[in-house]
Amino acid sequence: MDAIIKRNNVNVIGNGEQVILFAHGFGCDQHAWKFVIDAFTEDYKVVLFDYTGSGRSDLSQYDPAKYSNIDGYAQDILDVCQALDLRNVIFVGHSVSSMTGILAAIRHPEYFVKLVLIGPSPRYLNTENYTGGFEQKDLEVLFEFMENNYLGWSSAMAPAIMGNSDRPELGEFLTGSFCSTDPDVARDFARVTFMSDNRADLSKLTVPSLTLQCSNDIIAPLAVGEYVHRHTPGNEFLRLNAAGHCPHISEPEETIAAIRAFIQRN
Amino acid sequence: MAGQAIIDLEELYQQAPCGYFSLSPSGHIMKINRTLLDWLGYEQAELLDHKFSGLLSKGGQMHFEMFFWPMATVNKGVKEFSYEVLKKNGEGLPVLLNASAKLDQSKRLVAVNVVLTDITERKSFEKELLLSKKSAENEHKRLQFMADLVPEIIWTATPDGYIDYVNARFCQYFDCNGQDTRVSFIMSKVHADDRRALLADWRASMRTGEAFEKRIRLVDRDGLYEWHLLKAALFLDEEGQLTNWFGSCANIQQHVLDMKKKDDFINIASHELKTPITSLKGLLQILDRMKGDLSNKMVPGLIDKSNRNVNRINNLVADLLNASQLNDGQLHLNKSQFNFAELIGDYVHHIRIDRQYEIITEGDRSITVLADEGRMEQVLSNLITNAIKYAPDSMQIVIRLSRTPQGILLEIVDSGPGIPPEKLPHLFERYYQVSSQSAQYSGLGLGLYICAEIIRKHGGEIGAQSVLGEGSTFWFTLPA
Repeated sequence: MDAIIKRNNVNVIGNGEQVILFAHGFGCDQHAWKFVIDAFTEDYKVVLFDYTGSGRSDLSQYDPAKYSNIDGYAQDILDVCQALDLRNVIFVGHSVSSMTGILAAIRHPEYFVKLVLIGPSPRYLNTENYTGGFEQKDLEVLFEFMENNYLGWSSAMAPAIMGNSDRPELGEFLTGSFCSTDPDVARDFARVTFMSDNRADLSKLTVPSLTLQCSNDIIAPLAVGEYVHRHTPGNEFLRLNAAGHCPHISEPEETIAAIRAFIQRN
Repeated sequence: MAGQAIIDLEELYQQAPCGYFSLSPSGHIMKINRTLLDWLGYEQAELLDHKFSGLLSKGGQMHFEMFFWPMATVNKGVKEFSYEVLKKNGEGLPVLLNASAKLDQSKRLVAVNVVLTDITERKSFEKELLLSKKSAENEHKRLQFMADLVPEIIWTATPDGYIDYVNARFCQYFDCNGQDTRVSFIMSKVHADDRRALLADWRASMRTGEAFEKRIRLVDRDGLYEWHLLKAALFLDEEGQLTNWFGSCANIQQHVLDMKKKDDFINIASHELKTPITSLKGLLQILDRMKGDLSNKMVPGLIDKSNRNVNRINNLVADLLNASQLNDGQLHLNKSQFNFAELIGDYVHHIRIDRQYEIITEGDRSITVLADEGRMEQVLSNLITNAIKYAPDSMQIVIRLSRTPQGILLEIVDSGPGIPPEKLPHLFERYYQVSSQSAQYSGLGLGLYICAEIIRKHGGEIGAQSVLGEGSTFWFTLPA
């Protein structure tokens, strides 16, 4: 139990009985929820964690093979549930965590009572008869941006020019940052996220779920949200006024209200 | 109060040498300065209330949504994010974004304020830098490739004499990796007798910067010392700054051995010539004393002996001339068709007269060849004389002539002591004598070399097999 709590930097806060498990999206860690969790700690037991390799998780536990597909991340969720002996969990997942939550709930439906999916996408790449929103070349640009921007432009260029591959400033950066992910892990995670195709899994979900669809979300456009809604049994669909991909950051109140309305209903 | 009159903050904002803009919590542009509008080619109305991420490529938008925005809002700041912003005309503007979040009293996000710096020039400088770094690296690799390709040891050293690079041959010769370049390691590879002088010269060159050259023995991976010519020179760059010592060690072992052989040969040749000359001198002194009485019955014997010594000198000089002719490629063949068995018969008859050896000739007596008869006799004579000379206890010598699909094969078989296997491959080299105790046998050691050259010139092959204690077979072939 302690091993998992340390590995995934698990934090439990709040006074309630009912558990809400918040799972952060790609590129972030549990701090992404900081604008919304206060609204739930009064009535719920809020569980936060970082995926292995993200945030302040134990980087030494990161196994590239295990996390080479999205199932590895789904296992992190199940590990947290088992370590804390959680049942009837309300799961709130952002972005890629919508899919990891769905995969976890397919494998162990008994752990979950409801899923809230914020900006879900079962597949990001366009393909025949499916619009995910992205072409391969868009992703390559993203990966390049990630490379260049990991430590800021000058820190990214300096080692390339000066030939200093040790990057001693990395450790400093990792401890002080919000998106504190090891660059290699981040790159792997990006590929796992954006190359995944979980469309076939949607129909296997038996736990009731809610899709929260933002307006103008480039990462998970409306068509993708509607696809999730159509193919997932027992899925409700709600369009938010919040724009972008992070409504829990840009419009926390609207997001809180939407989650609350869904989870308080019997 | 004075400050208010002097500084117009709004004017500073609009005309700043960088772009300023502010985004609403939903990412829409709420305010933007004149500088940025000019850079992008937009009017203010075209951008206000539009999402800033609309000015980015799709990959850039993804990054903005997933990294920039959460970091700017939750982390309250972003430093030096590099993006390419699209101008109205479609061109990209490389920029750095620094952002900070503005929160209200209840810690709610009010705006994200962003400073945008144009890094077009910086990017192109950096690109140039990377390119030149890459080309320098490639050049370095090319040089290294070349250095690894040459069969010599190549190294470089710092101006104060520490080896900082060695090529593949160095590692191969000393059986080490490229890091084993400490002075003590290298000195341990130099022959003890050469070390002191090398160190002294090396230190002197370090002081003066003068190039130096030295012959030293270096021990290889198998513990064998081989002579090397060590050369080193100081490379000055275009500014005349000391950069590096460049050095090489050429293996001159073969050259040194060849020179030694030549010295040995001159030594042998002098001795060989001296013996008959000394005899001749003695004989002439005796004859000189007898010049009043030429009817003395000893005279014919003395003249006979003198003639033999002159012939010997003549033969030695002929060998020397032959060898130098062969060396210069001046051996000319006078070919004619003749019966080889008859040639052997004549020659053997000539030897049998004054020797006790049993010489048996075997084989087809009708074989004829197209060859230089005089040269063939020379070869035959050399091989048979060798057999007699080096196998003195072998009372029987077999000469076997046979026909092969390619031509003819002649074998001369003795039952002498044989030749050690390690010496067999060198028999036909110039200046080579099987026994190091050259005094034991007479001759210049040129015979087999001359034979081999004559046979090769005829397009044939020559060789020898031997079993220690049983005897040797020398053979050659001639094409039909």
